Amino acid sequence: MNRRKFLKTAGIAAAGAIAAPYILPSGRLFAATGARKVNHVVFCLYAGGVRNLESVQMMDGNLMPNLLNGAAPISPDIAGAMDILPASPLSQPLQNYGTLFKQVKYRRGPTGHYNGHTVAVTGQYVDIDLNIRAHPENPTIFELYRKHNSPQKAALNSWWVAQNLGPYPALNFSSHEEYGAAYGANFIAPTWLISQDGYDVLGNPKVFGSNEKAAISNLQQFVNQNFNKSYTDGSAGVVNDNPDAALLQSFISDLYNKAQGGQFLNPWGAGPAMNNDMYNICFAEEIIKQFKPELLVVNMQDVDVGHFNYTSYANNLRKADFAAAHLWNTIQNTPGMANDTVMIIIPEHGRNQFGNTSVDAYGRYALDHTAPVDLISGDQMARDIFCMVVGPVGVVKQGQVINTAMGESSDVVPVIANLLGFDSSIPGYIGVKDYNSCDLKAAFY
Amino acid sequence: MNRYLFLFLLVVAVSSCKKESDYIYETTPVTVQQSGAVKNNVKSTTEFISIAYADLFGANISQGQLTKLGNVYASFGDKKVVEDRIILNFLNVPGLQIPATPSINGDTTAFVSKTYKKFYNREPNAFEAYYWKEQIRLNANVSPLVMYYVLMTSDEYRFY
Repeated sequence: MNRRKFLKTAGIAAAGAIAAPYILPSGRLFAATGARKVNHVVFCLYAGGVRNLESVQMMDGNLMPNLLNGAAPISPDIAGAMDILPASPLSQPLQNYGTLFKQVKYRRGPTGHYNGHTVAVTGQYVDIDLNIRAHPENPTIFELYRKHNSPQKAALNSWWVAQNLGPYPALNFSSHEEYGAAYGANFIAPTWLISQDGYDVLGNPKVFGSNEKAAISNLQQFVNQNFNKSYTDGSAGVVNDNPDAALLQSFISDLYNKAQGGQFLNPWGAGPAMNNDMYNICFAEEIIKQFKPELLVVNMQDVDVGHFNYTSYANNLRKADFAAAHLWNTIQNTPGMANDTVMIIIPEHGRNQFGNTSVDAYGRYALDHTAPVDLISGDQMARDIFCMVVGPVGVVKQGQVINTAMGESSDVVPVIANLLGFDSSIPGYIGVKDYNSCDLKAAFY
Repeated sequence: MNRYLFLFLLVVAVSSCKKESDYIYETTPVTVQQSGAVKNNVKSTTEFISIAYADLFGANISQGQLTKLGNVYASFGDKKVVEDRIILNFLNVPGLQIPATPSINGDTTAFVSKTYKKFYNREPNAFEAYYWKEQIRLNANVSPLVMYYVLMTSDEYRFY
């Protein structure tokens, strides 16, 4: 071996030694840096189907004054039907605390609520009508977070707070063989759990004394050791360890006590205007105050009354607007989350350009959302949505408005992964979009 | 002629009659029960709630109550947490059918056996029977209520 050949070989070997640790099984180069932009992300699904014409384009005036700049009055024909809401909890509309994307796309797949939610939490489009009794096939953002964040975090750090039951409880983890319940989020549908029915069946538990609890702990260990299967192997949903499960029991009891004490009768001073969306956000705020989760996803859906009543849709759009602002105000007043949280607001899909046959008392036509798989038939306006990203100065670009077509529904998952510092640890074959190709990254420095 | 006919009939009658044998199988009567080792199926939500109610109250749960419980069950993601809470609430409802403590002290072994059959549909094995008997006799905190709670929140109770 001559000197030149020796140097060449040695050089290649050295380069290989340096590069090899960074070639991941996924085929991607370079392992995660773990560099986080923030330590908390709240993903607020302004769901139920929101049309850009009523939101960012303000066709009926500014129905979202807590989120959007603008003083355009609500159209006189429906203004009288709007419920009175409290003054904004924020000193200025929320868009000023971050970046507003006014032309975002729900690019593919049927514009159904469960499809839209599935795309939002998995970052992957589904081109079929989903089996609403099944978990998503692709891993959710909760599983990606709990599996790839380093160090790994307990379920108590991730929450899915759903406004309704139906298929939505299935979104806290997927059926993917490499992920699943072991990496799932805690799920709660608080308006069902913390209800009179819920209190009737769960509100008065037997309380054992400390000596009894000690005996119970030993006996439970004994009986479970004598059985050859564990109920927690997938069929028991997400699993919290015993100390965290005790915290959850205590949290549920506390919510029932507050409910019995009347604290949820009029929590925001909105009186009879308080709807399910507002209550759902209210309970999400309880979770934020109690657990300070690193990842919380919460949805609203009351605007879906738009299938039958346009004016109620507009009214509920205002309530969701107030609720989102209230949520941000709570985050900013929660030590540990204030100035260390990014909140992303996006509808799961839009609504049709053309009305259906239902006409409300104000002469307005109701709106469906019927853009099917083929991207041609139906009403493709149901794919047009907006997105707002707010967060700390120096992380999120403040007061930025992007009027051109930028961003899509599948951007949100990689954006969250990047914010929490684990996006590059997600294997490429999972199919999540690369952060660097996401238009929504324009919101960040 | 008649004599031959009579003899013929006599031969036929004797040869066609045979005394029935009584066979005695010397086995002990058994009750069919399920071994813990072969419980492979997880109870559905409805099965779990209905069976738990019937085990504690000796009656079928009402449809209204079942609907309420089904909804709250669906509204929380950690099923162990919500099941634990369902059982704890059942244990606080009037009408609970639970043996008084003195009867245990009277015949602890029988109580353990009966409780295992009630919740696990099987007899306790020798080790389980001994362990529980000792726990009940030696630890005043191990009441019937505690034993019911422990068995109903165990992994085995969730399977059939």
